[in-house]
Amino acid sequence: MERIYVHPLPVRLWHWVNAVGFVVMIVTGIQIRYVGLIDMMSFKTAVNLHNWTGFLLIGNFFIWLLFYLFSDKIKAYHPELSPTKHFRASFRQLQYYGYGIFRGDPNPHHVSVYRKFNPMQSMLYQVMMMLIVPIQFYTGILLWDVKRFSAAVDMLGGVRVVDTVHVLIFIFFTSYILIHAYLGTLGHTPAAHFKEMFTGYVEVEEKDG
Amino acid sequence: MATSRGAGRVTRATFKTDFVIASVVGFLVLFAGTWARAADKPLSEPDKTCLACHSQERLEKKLANRETLSLHVQGDAFAKSVHGVIGCAGCHADVNLKSHSAKTKKITDVREYSIASTEICRGCHAGKFKQYEGSIHASLVRDGNPVAPVCTDCHSPHAVSPKAVYETMAAVPCKNCHAAIFNAYAASMHGKARSKPGESAAPLCSDCHSAHEVAVASAREGRKTACLGCHAGALGAHQKWLPNAELHFEVISCPACHSPTAKRRVDLRLYNSMAQQDVSEQKGVPKFERRARSADAQGGGLDAIELWNLMKVFNRDGTAGKTTLRGRMEVSSGVEAHQLADKGQALSDCKICHSEGAAAFQSVTVSIAGPDGRPVRYGANKEVLNSVISVDSVSGFYAIGANRIKFLDIVFLLSLFSGIAVPAVHLTAKWVFRRYVNKIEAAKASESATDRSRHSAGGRRGGRGSK
Repeated sequence: MERIYVHPLPVRLWHWVNAVGFVVMIVTGIQIRYVGLIDMMSFKTAVNLHNWTGFLLIGNFFIWLLFYLFSDKIKAYHPELSPTKHFRASFRQLQYYGYGIFRGDPNPHHVSVYRKFNPMQSMLYQVMMMLIVPIQFYTGILLWDVKRFSAAVDMLGGVRVVDTVHVLIFIFFTSYILIHAYLGTLGHTPAAHFKEMFTGYVEVEEKDG
Repeated sequence: MATSRGAGRVTRATFKTDFVIASVVGFLVLFAGTWARAADKPLSEPDKTCLACHSQERLEKKLANRETLSLHVQGDAFAKSVHGVIGCAGCHADVNLKSHSAKTKKITDVREYSIASTEICRGCHAGKFKQYEGSIHASLVRDGNPVAPVCTDCHSPHAVSPKAVYETMAAVPCKNCHAAIFNAYAASMHGKARSKPGESAAPLCSDCHSAHEVAVASAREGRKTACLGCHAGALGAHQKWLPNAELHFEVISCPACHSPTAKRRVDLRLYNSMAQQDVSEQKGVPKFERRARSADAQGGGLDAIELWNLMKVFNRDGTAGKTTLRGRMEVSSGVEAHQLADKGQALSDCKICHSEGAAAFQSVTVSIAGPDGRPVRYGANKEVLNSVISVDSVSGFYAIGANRIKFLDIVFLLSLFSGIAVPAVHLTAKWVFRRYVNKIEAAKASESATDRSRHSAGGRRGGRGSK
């Protein structure tokens, strides 16, 4: 196995802060939403923790954004411009997770320094990082101080509309983070992908010759 | 108010008299000490002439509607009153002794006479009268309410006391009509503080509601401005412990927390996003109640779909901007609004409101600001706060934890289930498949081993045979 350096330090830092932060946001979000049914902490503590972690994640987002804007590693996020190619590759990847992996087939995606995402990841992460996550931050900021941002809240249709969007994205992230963690165990060993995100090095099959 | 305008026609002579009287009274009010001395003065000879008849207790006039108008004036009380110095003619300038007869003045009924007489008060107290005209009391009078107060209902006409007398727990006139509210106030921390000897800093009715420009207590911002007039540091104090304190101040009335035993409710008010203010009912063309009644097909209060339909009707009116609903938590009655407790007893536990089934969200009304500012309400089912349809119709009100949309709870449970089920199923499939593949591989291996052993056994036999 050959070791290649795929995940630079800022990306690793961003990833783990995000991971812990999202778990905190989900847990405190559940406590805030289901106060009375769940009693992990006081409502006030949950609100304060949710607010502070939210701001930490917004700051963390800019670490990610600035790193990729000023690094050639941004190529990892460049979209495949041919839809046919993209969907064919995505289907191959889906076929692997849905069938090939059970048979022990090799992963059709080969990680390299500038192509760390498989076709499904590259599409999902672009939508997530450029659309879903910013919307969640924006609605979160509006809900953090509805009075201060009342003009924007009204423009979007009212506090209940903003909250519904925020909750729908929270619902998405709840299942996403569970499935993401599971997919993390599907490397060549169950711990391989987790190790990669700590060390930055990915073990790949050595090329023949 | 045709009667008022009729009564307002004054001659040049009476105007001059009124002007002189107004000047005299103004001067006296400015110099209270001077007034005090003046009030002690004995009555003038013309006043004594009037009282010669009007001090008789049974002096009264039968009116056209068979009511009886008392014409009795207590001489001592009048002499000591603020108006003692201006004498009888100060107000009754139209009375001429020569033509003064019980038969000459036509008075239809007591109420009409009281309303018409307010014009006499306006002659001197124009400023205060203007304030009164903007009050809910005057608005009710204009609407024909038979018990709404005019000047003389609060200020006994022949025993008008100085202002300081009205500003006491014992003599405040508001309690004559609002007895239940006054009793609640008297038992509140404000009332108790005011009752202490020498205590005048604690508010009395007029400190919050103003004496003449009496406002609708349940208008959008309610009397919050009055509360903050004294409790100027309240917002800062709340910000120290209450997240989103400003928002709480906007959507919750002060008594909702500071009257801890009160029954609370949510009032959803029609609000126009373009005008950025509550929608008001136009005078003379009431629509809200008729429309709400028409939308409420079952008659038990508006449910989510009926409320949505009602909002659609209001949005078809062609007014610019969207009409939506904004909510406000308030106490259920005026009595409860005055049961203010010491701040140590105020509600401060978030869970009291921010939890499923919280008592504050069990009662819901939908309202529009009436022409006089008072809300016109219609009942709604509490489910309107939790329905997915309300994302559109009740878009301006949401209390975290308490008003969760049930549909989103179902979506969340499905999402959580899929987040656990997808990995579990995949893992199981992988394990089952691996076992199956292993079994096949083992079978293949054993088969090939058998073949090999057979082959080698055959070879050995063959070898031996060849040997």
